[in-house]
Amino acid sequence: MGKTDRITERQLTVLIFVSLLSPMIRILPTAAVVFGGRSAWLSPFVAFVAGKLLLSFMNALRKKVPEGTGLADMVELGLGRGAGKVFNVLCALWLTFYAGFVCRSAAERLLSTVYPNGSVTVFIVVMLLIAVLTASGLTKSLSRTAEVLMPILVGVIAAVLLSAIPDVSGENLLPVTYRNARDILYGAVPIFNVMTGFVYFLFLSGHVRKDTSIRPNRFPWLVLLALTALGVTFFTLGTLGEKLAVSMENAFFMVIRNIRVFGVVERVEAVVVAVWIVTDFIFMAALLSIVAEIWRTVTGVKKRTAFVPVSAVLAGAAAFLIARDAFAFQKWSDVLIPAVNLTFTLILIPAAALVGRLRKKY
Amino acid sequence: MKKTILAALALSLALTGCSSGLTIFSNYRRIENIELVRTITADKAEDGVRVSVYGTAGEENDARMYENTGPSIGVAMGEMILMPLGREAILSHTESMLVGEDFARERMGECLDYVERYSETRLDTGLLIVRGGAAIDLLKGLSGSDPAASDILAGLDKNISRVGEGYVFTCREVAASLAGNGVALVQCVRGVEEEKLFEARGDLNLEPDGFAVITEDGGAMEFLTEEETLGTMLLLMKLRSKNVDLPVQNTVSTVSVEKIRTSYEPVFGEDGRLLKLKVRLELSANLISMRGAADVTRREFREEAQTRLSGIMRDAAAGAVARSQAMGLDFLDLEGIVSRKEPIRLEDMPEAWESLFPTLPVEIRVESRLERTFDIVDPPEISGEEEKSPWEKLIESLKDN
Repeated sequence: MGKTDRITERQLTVLIFVSLLSPMIRILPTAAVVFGGRSAWLSPFVAFVAGKLLLSFMNALRKKVPEGTGLADMVELGLGRGAGKVFNVLCALWLTFYAGFVCRSAAERLLSTVYPNGSVTVFIVVMLLIAVLTASGLTKSLSRTAEVLMPILVGVIAAVLLSAIPDVSGENLLPVTYRNARDILYGAVPIFNVMTGFVYFLFLSGHVRKDTSIRPNRFPWLVLLALTALGVTFFTLGTLGEKLAVSMENAFFMVIRNIRVFGVVERVEAVVVAVWIVTDFIFMAALLSIVAEIWRTVTGVKKRTAFVPVSAVLAGAAAFLIARDAFAFQKWSDVLIPAVNLTFTLILIPAAALVGRLRKKY
Repeated sequence: MKKTILAALALSLALTGCSSGLTIFSNYRRIENIELVRTITADKAEDGVRVSVYGTAGEENDARMYENTGPSIGVAMGEMILMPLGREAILSHTESMLVGEDFARERMGECLDYVERYSETRLDTGLLIVRGGAAIDLLKGLSGSDPAASDILAGLDKNISRVGEGYVFTCREVAASLAGNGVALVQCVRGVEEEKLFEARGDLNLEPDGFAVITEDGGAMEFLTEEETLGTMLLLMKLRSKNVDLPVQNTVSTVSVEKIRTSYEPVFGEDGRLLKLKVRLELSANLISMRGAADVTRREFREEAQTRLSGIMRDAAAGAVARSQAMGLDFLDLEGIVSRKEPIRLEDMPEAWESLFPTLPVEIRVESRLERTFDIVDPPEISGEEEKSPWEKLIESLKDN
């Protein structure tokens, strides 16, 4: 790993936050409300606690890892070269497929909300092209881009959510009693599922400078992500109510479409669409970088650049072939992808990293 | 590499859709080629539905209207949006949707579905049912050269709750109520032929006509009377203001009800049954005009006015509750109110809400308060009482209070 392509822990966490915003505002609030009902707006608190625990666990495993050692290296150290490489290839293949899924999701969302007569092909191809260009560059360029964009994204989301306050009705959010505790826990599952995506970014942790004064267990990105989840769920649920929110594919977008600022400014959804596109682009580029990074470790070559276009082509193929239409795609999106994602982020990858620690390899 | 990136970025300019020429996906519309729609109507037609859009062209102020018929709203609108005199209709700023009574009885769900699904329309579009005629005829009748029908509808939307004649629920509110409660209220309007006060006005005048009660399953639609509508607004806290004539002493005093506070208290028995629902309405009113003469500063006057106002409002609220119970449709969302007050007791109730609701005793108590009479108190030459000195008046006032 070249010494020129170093980032700080903070830059990595900003990259994680901006990337995970993409799935967070795509699946919420519908996914949380389906499981959590009216009380789903409290689920982000639970998801935050669970996310914090996983983050602390992974940070504890990384604590004694020397600089320049990414998660793929840790896996090879822990499981041994052969088994480690097999595991890393498995992760790379899954993440390539997942990148295709993310790309198709972004395209489907644009079609169902803004460009009903468009074609997914245009959006998928453009997204992949831009992601390839970015991922072919340095990790620090990508992280820096995320760093520059983050205040804008946070500002836009906060402004949009605050503008939705007049439409929120307490009747749609209450009552919530101790009997809703189970619903709140269920509602936290999809939010936690998105949060666990940070585990994939640890494959880039080999780029993180160890000499930084910033403590590695910082978690402001997790707080921000939980607050975003809370805002999106609270305002959408408060505006539309449980039943209507669940029946809509992009309930958050429907709320945004209704926003009027002081009776003067309306139709602000274009700004939100811009946020989607930016986060989708960063997430796609980050996933391609991660996949290329894993292949670089597996093959032992110095530069990962060559793996980026190949991974993008495979991801593109997955995006086109994953489902014939929006209905079939929805089924993937509802159950299978979240289940596989959680299997990797919560079980397989932490377990693989833990083995190395138990074997005192780091 | 840098040149390649630059070339790729330059090419990406062609993807923006912000020009009508060299783009692979253009969403660009010239302002002179668009019609900004403010109102949509839907009426029953022999072969399906007759829809119309009403708005203004991009560069002009003149109101324009286009209509079409088709088997469904989607088909009829789809043809019309792209072909009104070569202009493209933009629905993103639609303020209201008027649905003819006949069409609403059969296919109200389709109207809501269209607004929810179409990528340009907003859920905050006001929904109105036109009683006693077609929505398109009302819109045509309202339209003079000035003001435009959409302006009249916008005025109604803004002010109807200030005169206590109703409340324009949006498609979002109606859809949410139908989804959550299985029943929803929709404001009704009617076109009334009246003498034209000025030439530029249309032939019809717009009048609110109470609420319609619609159900999720598209069952029979029913209409509330004026009094029931007022009671419903009181109980749903949608009333912003209402002027009421009260016969007080020897006068007809008009008071303006300005502040309304509604609170609910469910009363459960020891066996967990809901025994009754207590409703308390607190009203604040001001005297705004008077026919006849009376000393408005006297406590007797105020008490009588308050009692009469409370009686009128109690009757209205009781009428709304009675109608809701008679229909077996909880359009006042009393179940939601009880569930927010006593969620656990409601869940544990031995009897289901549906079976309990039609016979649930609802006790309504109204407390009215006349706050002020503005600057004119009681000129003695009008009431005929002897003129008193300020000190005498002060002492009398202190005794009264």
